[in-house]
Amino acid sequence: MLSSIAGPLFNGLFAAMVVFLFASGLTLVFGILRVLNFAHGGLFMIGAYLAFTLSGVTGGSEMGVLRYVLLCALAGVGLGILGWLVERSIFRPLQKVDEAYSLIATYALLLICEGAVKAIWGVNFRSVPTPPLLADAWIAGDVVMPVYAVFVIAVGVAFYAALEWMLHHTQTGKLMKSVASDPWMAGKLGVNVPRLYAWIVIAGFFLAGVVGGLLLPNQTLSPNLANAFVVQAFGALIVGGMGNVRGTFLAAILLSVIDSFGSLYFPEIPGLFFYVAMAIMLVVRPQGLMAGGSL
Amino acid sequence: MEPSPAQASPLMRFGLAMLCMAAFLALPGIADKGIVFLAGTVALQMVFGLTWNLMFGQTGLVSFGHASFFAVGGYAYAYAARALPQVHPLLTFAGAGLLCAAIAALVGLIALRRSQGVYFAILTLALSQIVYLVISSSAALGREDGFTGIRRPKLPLGWTTIDLAAGNAYYYFIVVVSALLAGIVWWVTHSRVGRVFRAIQQDPERAAFLGIPVQRYRLMSYAIASGVAGVTGALFGPWLQILTPEVAHWTASARPILYTLLGGVHFFWGPAVGALGFAVLEYGTRTLHGISEIVTGAILLAVVLAAPGGILGAVARLRQRITGKERRP
Repeated sequence: MLSSIAGPLFNGLFAAMVVFLFASGLTLVFGILRVLNFAHGGLFMIGAYLAFTLSGVTGGSEMGVLRYVLLCALAGVGLGILGWLVERSIFRPLQKVDEAYSLIATYALLLICEGAVKAIWGVNFRSVPTPPLLADAWIAGDVVMPVYAVFVIAVGVAFYAALEWMLHHTQTGKLMKSVASDPWMAGKLGVNVPRLYAWIVIAGFFLAGVVGGLLLPNQTLSPNLANAFVVQAFGALIVGGMGNVRGTFLAAILLSVIDSFGSLYFPEIPGLFFYVAMAIMLVVRPQGLMAGGSL
Repeated sequence: MEPSPAQASPLMRFGLAMLCMAAFLALPGIADKGIVFLAGTVALQMVFGLTWNLMFGQTGLVSFGHASFFAVGGYAYAYAARALPQVHPLLTFAGAGLLCAAIAALVGLIALRRSQGVYFAILTLALSQIVYLVISSSAALGREDGFTGIRRPKLPLGWTTIDLAAGNAYYYFIVVVSALLAGIVWWVTHSRVGRVFRAIQQDPERAAFLGIPVQRYRLMSYAIASGVAGVTGALFGPWLQILTPEVAHWTASARPILYTLLGGVHFFWGPAVGALGFAVLEYGTRTLHGISEIVTGAILLAVVLAAPGGILGAVARLRQRITGKERRP
């Protein structure tokens, strides 16, 4: 009895943390800049490819956990630098044009990411083995828990806790919230809004890169990776309440766990229940889980 | 919707549309098979883009799932044409469109009442993902492999029967029907209903205050756009002779959005011009691996940053500058 609940729950949580990790950078950028960044999947993909290449460059077949984490951080830094460039050349000029156009601009950026990956890394499928320390599995009763999945869940919760702490208990977080709620007023009160925007974009790109590296052992690298989680992440973002980190976290868990249980009873179409739950949530509670406050 | 500054006169626009149609009809005489195939696809995509802008530019509805109606129309036609070959193909095409309009009306009845703006967009995205998943795992529709062997039908017209499988017959059929469908969208846009749509797009609250049943007209816009999109999908099946779930993928739903913004939201023909421009872009860069996406993306970015009115917006500004100068003595 227990395992029939614990198994899908564990799988659901794993899926939820994958979606949340993917959506974390997306949520920051949407929560503050109000830009729904279609390119996030492309950045995530570049992060994964970057980590892949770095793992080859740094040599050695033995992939230690420390080296793996370092690779992810490096991929994040690489994307962060890219974020700085993109903010300067694209996002900043976009502030002046209509919202619908920023959407098409991020889609254009997604195309460029896909093209860049095809041109640099080719279209062949590639994969990276899970670091040996994470390749094991724990078995509790009937439930098989791959250590890697436990690791991803732990990282997801840690990322969430860190973001929550930063937003609600630090000066930077308070500035971010003030800019999110009223950029004009925050500017009048002496907040350097453009600089904060730049840092948010850099942070969003950094998160995309880190998460790309983190989820690398779980993915097959191909130029299609850019489209892998975008729609689920958008769902968690909007069901959660428009760029609210806590809402995104809860929505990711809710939708993924429902999907995990749904797939048990209806295995013919995997992933269906995520979208069914998403559609129902949007109809029943269109304002989102965490309506009202942003971030 | 801002009044477009220097639109060409109605007569001139009609002339241009006819010229475009004549160019499409003359194409098989001068171009090779590959180009003709591309042109047929583009003609359908042009209409598909027009239907999306009927919702967005006219009524203010953003849908991220428009391709699901293209797909439902396509698969519905393919399935019905195989199951009921005795039915007149024109009826089957129309039936596919009506089915899409009916589904849109049902979905919209709930979705449009409960959600607006970005919520409606994401809701349509979720629904389109459901359509995508159902198609890709349905055995009757060919799963990931696609629905294969969709035939180009014979078209009985009473006095004669046209075999659409012969030569370029199906191409001409696509061009003529696309023109008719574009005509329907044009007529809706320029009718009284279209003016009501625009009133809602500009200010839904004021429109409601003036006694316009806003929800009913939004629903009408969604159903008409989806129905016509369904017919374009139905026409696409026999053209490609196979349908894969890719036609329902969300990246296919992004297409009409790109066409519209590239061509110009504020112009009726904007999405059609955008679809044409996009096709030229893709065709021009098709042999460059990876570079094609980079070039397409870069040009889209340039349009957004440098010419936010789209291609037609830039043309209108240019016209204004030229005519403005000419008027001075």
